Amino acid sequence: MSNNRLDAKTRRSRLLANAIVIVLAVITLLPFLWFVVMSFKPADDIFAGVDGFFFTPTLENYTSLWSDRFAASMMNSFITSSVSTALALVIGTPGAYALSRATMKRERTFSLLILASRMAPPVAFAIPYFLVYRYMGLLDTRLGLITVYLTFNLALVVWLMRNFFDATPRALEEAAWIDGASLWKTFMVIVLPMSGPALVTTAILCFLYSWNDFFFALTLTRNNAMTAPVEVVNFMNYEGWEWGKIAAGGTLIMVPVLAFSLLMRKYLVAGMTAGAVKG
Amino acid sequence: MNGVRIEGVRKTYGSVDVIHGVSIDIEDGEFVTLVGPSGCGKSTLLRMIAGLETISDGTINIAGRVVNDVAPKDRDIAMVFQNYALYPHMTVAQNMGFSLKLRGVDGMKIKSAVDAAADILDLSKLLERYPKQLSGGQRQRVAMGRAIVRDPEVFLFDEPLSNLDAKLRVQMRSEIKGLHQRLRTTTVYVTHDQIEAMTMADKIVVMRDGRVEQVGKPLDLYDRPANLFVAGFIGSPSMNFLPATIDGRSVRTADGIELPADDLPLGGDAPRKVVYGIRPEHLTIGADGIPATVTLVEPTGAETVLLLTVGKEAVTAVVKDRLALSPGDRVFLQIRKGAQHVFDAGSGVRLD
Repeated sequence: MSNNRLDAKTRRSRLLANAIVIVLAVITLLPFLWFVVMSFKPADDIFAGVDGFFFTPTLENYTSLWSDRFAASMMNSFITSSVSTALALVIGTPGAYALSRATMKRERTFSLLILASRMAPPVAFAIPYFLVYRYMGLLDTRLGLITVYLTFNLALVVWLMRNFFDATPRALEEAAWIDGASLWKTFMVIVLPMSGPALVTTAILCFLYSWNDFFFALTLTRNNAMTAPVEVVNFMNYEGWEWGKIAAGGTLIMVPVLAFSLLMRKYLVAGMTAGAVKG
Repeated sequence: MNGVRIEGVRKTYGSVDVIHGVSIDIEDGEFVTLVGPSGCGKSTLLRMIAGLETISDGTINIAGRVVNDVAPKDRDIAMVFQNYALYPHMTVAQNMGFSLKLRGVDGMKIKSAVDAAADILDLSKLLERYPKQLSGGQRQRVAMGRAIVRDPEVFLFDEPLSNLDAKLRVQMRSEIKGLHQRLRTTTVYVTHDQIEAMTMADKIVVMRDGRVEQVGKPLDLYDRPANLFVAGFIGSPSMNFLPATIDGRSVRTADGIELPADDLPLGGDAPRKVVYGIRPEHLTIGADGIPATVTLVEPTGAETVLLLTVGKEAVTAVVKDRLALSPGDRVFLQIRKGAQHVFDAGSGVRLD
């Protein structure tokens, strides 16, 4: 009897929990859904209210985007994001390894300083960057954006990879030293191949940070190096707000984010919990 | 080919001394175990031999060469780690051949060296597997194979069996000993398990708090422990210790019970406080002797473990006979002639 009552109680609370999760998910995802649906609507149906509820899907927003400068801005986004991510990994991973393994005085302070550069609000850097870039001729260049993203991503790489290295056993490296490997060889042949999941997680987070950036792209680019998020905002201009294009552009920007998250879901979770439990 | 000489070696972390001037001579081809409770410095000493820890003072000499400033890879050693430390992204064969590959040995030669080692360790069928596809015992054997392939001057083992279950441990114990008898490579083996140390070693080094307590052959340590610590550490169950007073004529416990003192140098007439030690297996039940009360009977089949009290002291006896005893029974204990050990109560040093 009491068992049945308990079961009913657990079932009811489980139902309630599920319901809350679904409601929260709908609330969170509804704007996205609305946005994606809007990108397929003909311009006239977008603000047609209930009448616009049923519509014939069209690709006209997307095709008009492509004839526009949007393709170039997508390319800018892709290049700046991937190059800055790759550079941050190449520079940051050995640095993180060194920080993790070296016995150094004030090591925690150094690590914290590195992280602090990531914690500061971007606006604190915007004006210095702008002035220095104008002086160096880096305004509105891909190289300029890559450099900004690199400085922020480097801190993230060092911090995440350092935590990962701290959690990996040193016995493997010691075995490699005794086997005859140098420090650098050990890093390349033993440590890096084991860091795959952590590297993938870190790479995704870096890429998404650069990909999603709006602020620096807005302040440091004008035309040539403008990235997709800024380009989308340009569809709100004095001739009118082109909602269809905004929705189509926004959807396209979301595609890699979604694709990465879904494809790498396994790695993301594995990487985030790496070292939490003894494997 | 001169074995390993450790002379006055110290290890200091900041102002804390972990190893206080240890000197050990390990002959060429000898199997030496470093044994002691956790934190005694045995693993640190092993890592210093391997070159994974710096040496604060003193010298370590491997095969006639001082290696204090020599990198681990140039010390001509191979080490087997407690958690095996197999490279997870390499196959068994790659793991075993890694050191040769780094030295630029030709592929065919690596293969024949790996095959030979795999043959010795019964790993031939597993060469293409990855470490995660192996059982604990197999991983242990691969770790040993990696060491054998190098044909080093010295094997270093850091508690290699502590991650295995009891049955496998006994099996691997005899495999390692058999391997040593076959290869005759100088071996330094760290363990906290005194049974492992006793059964495998040619020579045991008992350590405590960064100092060597005694060095000797297993049975010498068992028969004549140099002090209370070694007496209590070597042997299972542990030696019984009875606080007693010696006064030139007899040895008596604090409760006034007289203990046999044949062959003992009883010293002068002045009473002296001592600790009287007797191993559980050297006690038998007799018609007369030391009066004791049974508190617990543990039959193991082959023998019977008796927990008793002599006066106020707890005493363990291991007897071969199956005795019909129950808690509360009063019995008499007899001590095998000459099997007692007497230590100074203050310093713990052996007296006879």
